[in-house]
Amino acid sequence: MTKKTPKLIRWVRLDNAAKIYPAARKRNWSNIYRQSVTLREEVDKTVLASALEMNVKRFPTIAARLRKGLFWFYLQQVDAAPEIRDEYSYPLVYMSKAEMRKCAFRVIVYKKRIAVEFFHSLTDGNGAMVFLKNLVAEYLEQKYGISIPYENGILDRREEPREEEMEDCFPKNAGPVPASRRDTDAWHMYGTPQKDGFLHMTCFCLSVADALDVAHRYNATLTVFMTAVMMMALLRLQNEMVPQIKQQKPVKVLIPINLRHLFPARTLRNFAMYTIPEADPRLGEYTLEEIIEIIRHKMGAEFTAKHMRSVIATNVNDEKNPLVRLIPLPLKNLVMKAIFNSVGEKKACLTLSNIGRIEVPAVMQPYIERFDFVLGVQAAAPYNCGMLSYGDTVYLSFIRNIEEPALERHFFEVLHALGLPVTVESNRNER
Amino acid sequence: MYCIKCGVRLADTEKKCPLCGTTVYHPEMAREAAEPLYPEKRMPTTASGRKVFCGAIIILFMFPLVLTFLSDIWPDGQIDWFGFVAGGIVLAYLTFAFPVWFEKPNPVILVPCNFAAYIAYILYVCLATGGSWFFSVALPVSLGAAAITCTLVSLLYCLKGKGRLYIIGGTIIAIGALMLMIEWLIVKEFSVPFVGWSLYPLITLALFGGLLIYLAMNRVAREKIERKLFF
Repeated sequence: MTKKTPKLIRWVRLDNAAKIYPAARKRNWSNIYRQSVTLREEVDKTVLASALEMNVKRFPTIAARLRKGLFWFYLQQVDAAPEIRDEYSYPLVYMSKAEMRKCAFRVIVYKKRIAVEFFHSLTDGNGAMVFLKNLVAEYLEQKYGISIPYENGILDRREEPREEEMEDCFPKNAGPVPASRRDTDAWHMYGTPQKDGFLHMTCFCLSVADALDVAHRYNATLTVFMTAVMMMALLRLQNEMVPQIKQQKPVKVLIPINLRHLFPARTLRNFAMYTIPEADPRLGEYTLEEIIEIIRHKMGAEFTAKHMRSVIATNVNDEKNPLVRLIPLPLKNLVMKAIFNSVGEKKACLTLSNIGRIEVPAVMQPYIERFDFVLGVQAAAPYNCGMLSYGDTVYLSFIRNIEEPALERHFFEVLHALGLPVTVESNRNER
Repeated sequence: MYCIKCGVRLADTEKKCPLCGTTVYHPEMAREAAEPLYPEKRMPTTASGRKVFCGAIIILFMFPLVLTFLSDIWPDGQIDWFGFVAGGIVLAYLTFAFPVWFEKPNPVILVPCNFAAYIAYILYVCLATGGSWFFSVALPVSLGAAAITCTLVSLLYCLKGKGRLYIIGGTIIAIGALMLMIEWLIVKEFSVPFVGWSLYPLITLALFGGLLIYLAMNRVAREKIERKLFF
């Protein structure tokens, strides 16, 4: 009788950036985000399930579940693809601990849309987009029998996952000197909390050409320009909500930075850092040009390999500390949660994450209508915003857990004053 | 289509402006019917905080349980009176805290279960104290009380409030009859003379219960009482 070889279960330690997210989870909040693709025809769930099965094998660190060790959390590949779910009336429905233990991502289908929601410990926006593109590529190949070349993030799904894709790139890129974490607190928005857990998603659709045209007039990139518009909207909103200038606080927007642009890395795990430009309304009124200047200088100074190495070093040093490593996980969680609550989200009003221009092989384009990127709300602040562009449209998705769409209104007014036409859509329906 | 209030261009999916809430309408412009971006009214069944709350209550009940256990066992290493306290705490939990586990607790099931637990506890007390009164007195009284309470709860629950005066009136009379039964059982078990104390509550309760039934039958009298006693 031959002995059956036990199946190899792939597992990985959480990367440096991912470690905080499981500890920071709350009873009604977990750090998840969504990337979706809308096709031109209704999605065939049976074919998608088969494509997902293939993708799950190819991306073992993304198609994973969150497990607990004695000292650290870790990711373990899922045994089989999760069941494809139906859409609810709002995106990013709370992902419980029990769900993460089974599978830390979801695939959701609604008519022509395929959405994947990821727990942030699995991967960042870049890795998630590779996962989604490959899922769509596999789906299109199986459904329509087309052959898609391995370009623009499309990989060979039949090959074994590569080591460099599963690598934690933070430790090897840590610099010799850690940077300081000291930073001022930002103004925190507030409003009437949505009682039933409903999240309001409002998507602004703009023409790429129009947006770039205006951005270039201010000598800014699209990310810098949109961040400036957001900061302007936040300044106006704060003026409205906190009329006394002395009581106002700095307006700050967290901009994630894809470190793959700075360091040679092909990892599909988290490899992003951030910068937080700031405008303090107590110093006087700002024009859009001034805000753009602030953001450009901030990004120019911090979006360098040297600076990022030092920021990475700060985080990696904490993780390498032998005392920290020896603390049992439950205690570590308590400490990390306390740090996250007291520091984590106080440094910015919201996150504006731009994953950039989405490109797919030409053969896929006729089947795809659009992509979307929706961030989950912050743990203690009501807003967040995800952005991408596909084809000739920029999609900016606001998410909020309060009733008042005040920030969206100010954001629109700033764009309107700049002469940028915007189309707005939402999940509001008949609520 | 543009919002007539804030001027933003709206996708065909929108029925109201997402920025100002204004209903999308144009008297001369027909709108293309578009699929909504998300399905309407499909909400997840959110895990409420009930489980956490129930867990906290269990811990709250565990605290006196452990404390009394330690207090009992500490001096001589033997359990003497802990069983009585533990039984009482468990009964309190079953009566007041256990129904919280259910979103819609069904009293028709829970009340008989509670009575079963009370009867078991009384049996334990009887056995632990070496008594012989359980089957002769405690069980018939408990069963009588259980029958009255369960009937009351079941009728109120199943009839959804209809015939309340009949049900409550009947229950009050039944409680009076139970008093009579209790005195009779005490006389029989403990060989004490029959003094007829149970007749006082029986007559009072029978009169009051009868009055409620009369009011239930007589609409004019009922309305008159309502006029006089409203608050």
